[in-house]
Amino acid sequence: MPFPALARGHLHEIHCTAPDRAAAFAFALTQDLIQKQGAQAGAVFALQAVRRQRLPTLFSGDGLALLGIDPNRLTIVEAGSEVEMLRAGLEAARCPGVFMVLMESEGRFADYDLTASRRLVLAAEASGASIMLLRGDAEQRSSGAQTRWSIRSAPSIPLEADAPGLPTIEAELLRCRSGPAGGRWLLSWDAEHGCFRDRDTGEDDKRPPVPGAVVPFSRLRTDAGSDSQRQVA
Amino acid sequence: MQAATASDRSPDAEPVPFALVARVSNALRLASVDRIACRQGLAAGMTLADARARCPTLVTHPADPPADARELDRLLEVMRHFTPMVALDAPDGLILDISGCTHLFGGAQALARQARAMAGYASRPGFGTNAMAARALARHGRATSDIHALPVAALDLDDGALAALRRAGLRSIGDLARRSMGMIAARFGEQAVTRLRQILGEAPSPIAPRRPSAPIRAEARFPEPIARTEDVMDVIEDLLGQAARQMEARKLGGRRFVIRLLRSDGARQGLAIETGQPVRDPAAVLRLLRERIDTMADPLDPGFGFDAVLLAVPLVEPLAERQQAMEGEEARAGEESIVALIDRLGIRLGPDKVRRLQPRDRHIPESAQAFIPAMQAKAHPWPATPDHPPRPLLLFDPPQPVAVIAGVPDGPPQRFRWRDQLHEVRLAEGPERIAAEWWRRRDGHQPGGAGRTRDYYRIEDKDGRRYWMFRHGLFGEEVNIRWYLHGLFA
Repeated sequence: MPFPALARGHLHEIHCTAPDRAAAFAFALTQDLIQKQGAQAGAVFALQAVRRQRLPTLFSGDGLALLGIDPNRLTIVEAGSEVEMLRAGLEAARCPGVFMVLMESEGRFADYDLTASRRLVLAAEASGASIMLLRGDAEQRSSGAQTRWSIRSAPSIPLEADAPGLPTIEAELLRCRSGPAGGRWLLSWDAEHGCFRDRDTGEDDKRPPVPGAVVPFSRLRTDAGSDSQRQVA
Repeated sequence: MQAATASDRSPDAEPVPFALVARVSNALRLASVDRIACRQGLAAGMTLADARARCPTLVTHPADPPADARELDRLLEVMRHFTPMVALDAPDGLILDISGCTHLFGGAQALARQARAMAGYASRPGFGTNAMAARALARHGRATSDIHALPVAALDLDDGALAALRRAGLRSIGDLARRSMGMIAARFGEQAVTRLRQILGEAPSPIAPRRPSAPIRAEARFPEPIARTEDVMDVIEDLLGQAARQMEARKLGGRRFVIRLLRSDGARQGLAIETGQPVRDPAAVLRLLRERIDTMADPLDPGFGFDAVLLAVPLVEPLAERQQAMEGEEARAGEESIVALIDRLGIRLGPDKVRRLQPRDRHIPESAQAFIPAMQAKAHPWPATPDHPPRPLLLFDPPQPVAVIAGVPDGPPQRFRWRDQLHEVRLAEGPERIAAEWWRRRDGHQPGGAGRTRDYYRIEDKDGRRYWMFRHGLFGEEVNIRWYLHGLFA
């Protein structure tokens, strides 16, 4: 089934638990890469609200560079409250040079309602920027988002001497505006192409990654016995 | 009347001799000495070894001519307090034209006293009827105010001409002034005559005072006070337009804009914004000002209305007019809009809340990068580190303490407890040993003085999450060894 993936100019929600934040960030940030292959990619604004986070984390420039993201592209904005973060995110999404706005929230995020999400959608459609909204430890809520994902880290294929392997994440499509939801993919990092690839078809799929809005993920059937065992985390 | 001041750099409170040293043709020589050193027989030009032999307590510091020039520039600005005509007499003097200014300060001597106190350095003033005479008296007149008693060195001729003057028995300016000018020109060169005539006041010796650049400002005063914020903003836009024209003529752009609103009851209100790049577009500045007004705790209070609005641009930078490019226009427009966005967010949230990552040349992972306000950040290429094991995407700040069970004392962890949850380690790689930066500690080179070494492990637990974990300290060296989680891999 062709996959209606994380197209530019839309709002995407990414749900994750707190320890999976790195996987969710990696998923969100590398979407930009897939869609901008070869070309000079634009600015990324990462926004967060100052509050007592349970896990205070910082971006690591070396880690970003490993995922193929030039740390100079990233501007980190710390807003005083969630409302201010939404407002700043909206402004960033309207700005013509911005390619991605990455907002991070934790918990309930009461200010993010249908109106707020619709505003973000309109801003993204007008400027062509993608808006990624990370929701850590949160309930799903109806919104204007194009897709809603659940991201978690998945066991990697060990390297020699039982070393942890390349980044591997499990992505579940919870909701998709123009297509069926419920797919589940096991993606591992493809160091050669600098993007996440479906791990199971990676071996025989020698085609170059498809450019454009369609992400070359293929679907992992969850009902197949062997696959579901692999996904047990 | 002219006054010249030659200042040296010595702080006179120091009880020990002090000198600045510079490397001259591969030997360390004294570049300048302070008063105490001078009294002990040291002089500029002496080698440092000789000076140390004479005066073992000599305190030295490397000479920094660019810093001296900057300091002299600052002094020049300070001296504008006394006269608008201040000229630089490189490398270490200032010439002030104090004609018509002395009565304001109670006479020439009082003026000199105040100027020397304001400069804060030991200095030698000299007064003369023209600039060259004042300069010669300040530099060569030892307690004399008679130009005829000055030595011939005051002419500032080259060494050959000076030696010839001395050989001819001419030791002072007065000796020279009695001879006929034609003879002097024939024997010692035309320059000797020119300098002599300048010092004697027979030829003009003009100075080139440095003029302060006119500040960029605009103001509007109203016959009737205005009260509506929108009216005030209209006036400000008009003033910004005037300032933009002034700046355009001088190819400048403003980095800081200050608005003062004068209320009819005498109260004053101020608004100030700063931008990341020089701008002069009134619309862009007005947008930032509106942003500032929105974020103010108490909005503009007109009271009975504003009488006047003053605009000043205290910080300007060169901003050339740019030609409209044929290609890359879209990318540049995008860049400009991002700079404007960063300015706006910086004004609303505070400039240190909008930040960028910059690499730093440090070993400890959390110090190897810094968050710099995006307005000041410059795009440095990120250093490629192919020899490192991979680094995590997110770093914990501060590192999270965990309880760890390891198989052998200095082996990788087998299971760990973090946030009341037990994690079984499935895969582990390491250690990557990162030693403490002993060269930054005072006793770093002593055993145990450097701080603790960290052994980093890349581990993956049974749930498939990858962590960066380190053991703080080496077994055998420290007793109480703790483990910390320092990062999350994707």
